[in-house]
Order: sequence, then C-alpha cells, then structure tokens
Amino acid sequence: MRTKCHKIEHRISDYIDGTLSERQTAAVASHIRSCQSCQREVAALKKTQYLLKNFYVEPNASDAYYAQFTAKLQHRIEQSAPTAPHQRFAAAAARLGWQLRTQIHRYTDHFRPSRFISIRRHALPYYVLALAMTVLIAAPFLLTQVSLYDNGEHVRLPSAALQPAVTLTIQQDKTAVHRIGIRRNINSERTTKTPAVDSGSEVWKFTDEPMVDGYIFAKLRKESSDAVPSVALGIDSELLAYAEFPAQGAIWARLTSRDVVTEDRYALLLLRGINTGQHARQQYERKRSESKGFSQISEKLLDVPLEMLSVTAVYDPIEL
Amino acid sequence: MDRTEALLIADLCEGDETALAPLVERYKRMVYRLAVQITKNHADADDVMQETFIKVYHSIHTFRRDAAFETWLYRITVNEALNFVRRRERQRESTIETTPEAAYEVSTRYRAQLANDPHTQAEKSELRQYVTEAVNSLPLKHRTVVILHEFEGLTHAEIAAILNCSEGTVRSRLHYARKKLRTLLKPYMEASAI
Repeated sequence: MRTKCHKIEHRISDYIDGTLSERQTAAVASHIRSCQSCQREVAALKKTQYLLKNFYVEPNASDAYYAQFTAKLQHRIEQSAPTAPHQRFAAAAARLGWQLRTQIHRYTDHFRPSRFISIRRHALPYYVLALAMTVLIAAPFLLTQVSLYDNGEHVRLPSAALQPAVTLTIQQDKTAVHRIGIRRNINSERTTKTPAVDSGSEVWKFTDEPMVDGYIFAKLRKESSDAVPSVALGIDSELLAYAEFPAQGAIWARLTSRDVVTEDRYALLLLRGINTGQHARQQYERKRSESKGFSQISEKLLDVPLEMLSVTAVYDPIEL
Repeated sequence: MDRTEALLIADLCEGDETALAPLVERYKRMVYRLAVQITKNHADADDVMQETFIKVYHSIHTFRRDAAFETWLYRITVNEALNFVRRRERQRESTIETTPEAAYEVSTRYRAQLANDPHTQAEKSELRQYVTEAVNSLPLKHRTVVILHEFEGLTHAEIAAILNCSEGTVRSRLHYARKKLRTLLKPYMEASAI
C-alpha cells in the first residue's frame, strides 16, 4: 500500500486541479477511497488551496503611485530614445524590418494554404526564404545535369508550366460574419451582376491584389428598425464605416448617400480610397468624437456598437 | 486580444510612442502585482515595472501578433522580476551575510498594506497575514509557480511557456510548493477548523 501511496502522492496535486486524464483520475479516486492516509492528504491540500484563495492578500499600489509611475516611465523612454546616428539607424532598420514583415504576412495571407496544410503563419516567410535558398543551391547542379543529357534539341516546356501555378478558391460562408475576400480580376470569369445577399453557396475567386476602391456589403444584425442604415442614409448625410478583416487589417471610410444602395436591412456601400492602414480604428474614433455636426439620425447610427455592423463581403467595383 | 489592443501594438511597432501609454494603463496593475509578489519589495517592483515596459517598448517588433499580448507581457515581467531577485541576492551574498528570515522579509510597505486592509480585522487579520507570509516564505521558483497558478489563474502549459521549462517541472514545483504550504498552514487549519 505504501508503494501505491508514494505513486499516488505525486498525482494528488494534479488530481485536485482536475488536470489528470480520465483513467488517472479514476485510479487516484479509487485509491483514495481505500486509503485513509491519502484521504487526509487530499483534504489537507484542499484546505491549503482554500486558504490561499480566500486569505491571501494580493498587493496593490495607490492610484497616486501609478500616476507617478506613468510620468516617470515617459521620462525614461524619452531618455532612452536613440541619439547616436548608428543607434537611430538600428532603430529605423528594426522598424523597417517589422513593416516589411507585416507586408509579407499580408501578402502571404492570401496564398496561405493553411486551410489544407497546417503551416504556422508567422513562419511562412521563412519557408519561402528556405525554398528560395534551396532553389539557388540546387540550380547549378540541375543545370549541369541538363547539359549532360542535352543532345542539341530544343527543350520543350510542358504545357502545364504555362498554366497559373495556383488557383485559390475560397468557399464563401454566409454564417461567418467577418469572412472577407477581394474578388479576383479574371478576364473570362468576370461577372456584372450584383451579388445576392444569400449567395452563401457560391464559390468566389480571390486575389491578393490590394483594393483601392470597392463595394462593401453590410447589414445591421440588430433587428430594431431605427438602427437600419437605409434610414440613416436616406438623407444626404455621412456615415462612417469601420470594419476589420482577418487578412486585410481594418478599413475606414466616409460615405454619403450617393455611395449607398439600400434595400431593406442591407446596404451596398461604395468605399472610395479605402484606408487599409493600421490607424483606421483611431481615425474612426476621432471622427466619431468630432461628429457633433452630423445629423441626428447619423449620430444614432454611429451610436450602434461596431459589433452590430457586420461585413459579409467586399467586391471589386469593376466586376460590379 | 481585442481590436483596440491590436491597433495599439501595431502603432507601437511603427514607432508611435503614444501607443504605449494606453497599454501601460491597461496592464500596470497586473505587472505591479506580479513584480511585487516575486520581489517582495515595492521599490524593486517599481524598477521591474519600469524595465518591463521599457522592454515592451523596445522589443515590440519581436512580438508575434498571433500570440496573446498578455502572455508575452507575463513572460517579460516574470523574467525581469526573477533576474532582479537573483541579481539582488548575488549582491547581498557578496556584501552582507543574510539570514533566511531576512531574505524572506516582507517589505514595510507591504506589511502596512496588510495592516490597513479593511478586511484584515479581528481574527481573520492574523490568518490573512499568516497565509500571505507563508506564500512569501516559499523559495523563489516555487513561489513564482504558486503565484502564476493560484492567483493569476494560468494553466500549467502557460506557466511552462513563461518560465521556459517543461509542464512536468511546473507540476512538480506546484506539488512541492503546496506540500510546503500545507505544513506551514497546518496550525491554522486545525485552529480555525475550516
């Protein structure tokens, strides 16, 4: 029994936390039922946990201290700003590197085959780099091989090599509120029809090309009729639209009634000069705080929580 | 990570210093709480807090955006605090001889806070102080795991990532820390009959 107790003892802590597997939990529970010593151990550890949860005093500082701390930190950051030219250069290089990496991430997001293959997104640029280096290293060897077997005839590339390497299709999911994609300009597959709202089963082609102008198809999820964008945009007022997409970042746009086609609770909004920058949210908040001159209805619309405005798709204006 | 936080981090990455202030505002209490529990000293916690946010400011471009910012901040804070305590203990060893009691001494300010706590009245006051000091008396690595698991509510896996060790090590440290606390708190368990 003692040997068993010794084995169980190491698991008692996990048993109390509930982090053991079902089988382990059953084994420990079975032993505890038959062993008074282990029962006491479990009870004592549970009491210890109770005391910790209920009687341990978590430290905290006064508000005055935190205010003082923030000022002190600000001062230290100003002092720690790079002054020497080489330090400034290093800081600028680090920033540039981060921005470059961000762009690569954005670019690779569209081609990301993670729906089919499990590749960690942050590591994708490194995979691309590794692939490029492999090609560079292998190229001289392959060229040598070709020259060995080349009998003077022209090399014919297989016809498949002329086809696009990847055709990425993404199933549009009408249940996913923030799923978003940019429609690809494919000559033979361009459509002129305005997409229907319930085109959940349709397969769209997407592109990695950055979108400058476009339509945004939006709807208010709230059932209340006074929060419908068509009401607000029936007059010549402005609407500030904000939306965040997993791949493209956030967008912000100022709209007028000319840019909007509304139908029932849905609105097709033309976004001009979509700002895909990271400051979109800040711009939105600033505009919102400055929106005193806006009409009452617009204000009401702006008061709708952002979560209420759900974006279902963005379409290329050329196609529309 | 919510949208505002993601944008603040992005702004900070692009060199916008003003984005740091809202992040400090959001996490200062968490960082202080963690720092003071590990260092057991307000002045040291203040230093750790400053170093932590300076590090956030300078190293934000190394933060992977698909990870949780809070976990990243936990890691920086814990590592800064642990390094601080180790440095301080090395300095103490080389200058003055310390007794175990002195090493585990709770700072005056921390004691004052315990005394001023409105809930620490009558008999509970003593129990609160005893439980708090029992946690403070644990060796550094055990105390850190207890703080992160019992009070910050982190999982074994999260703690393992923060401390850069295996989950097994975390479980083992937690087990020994609980056993030690059980022994320290035994008189109170019997007396208070909880």
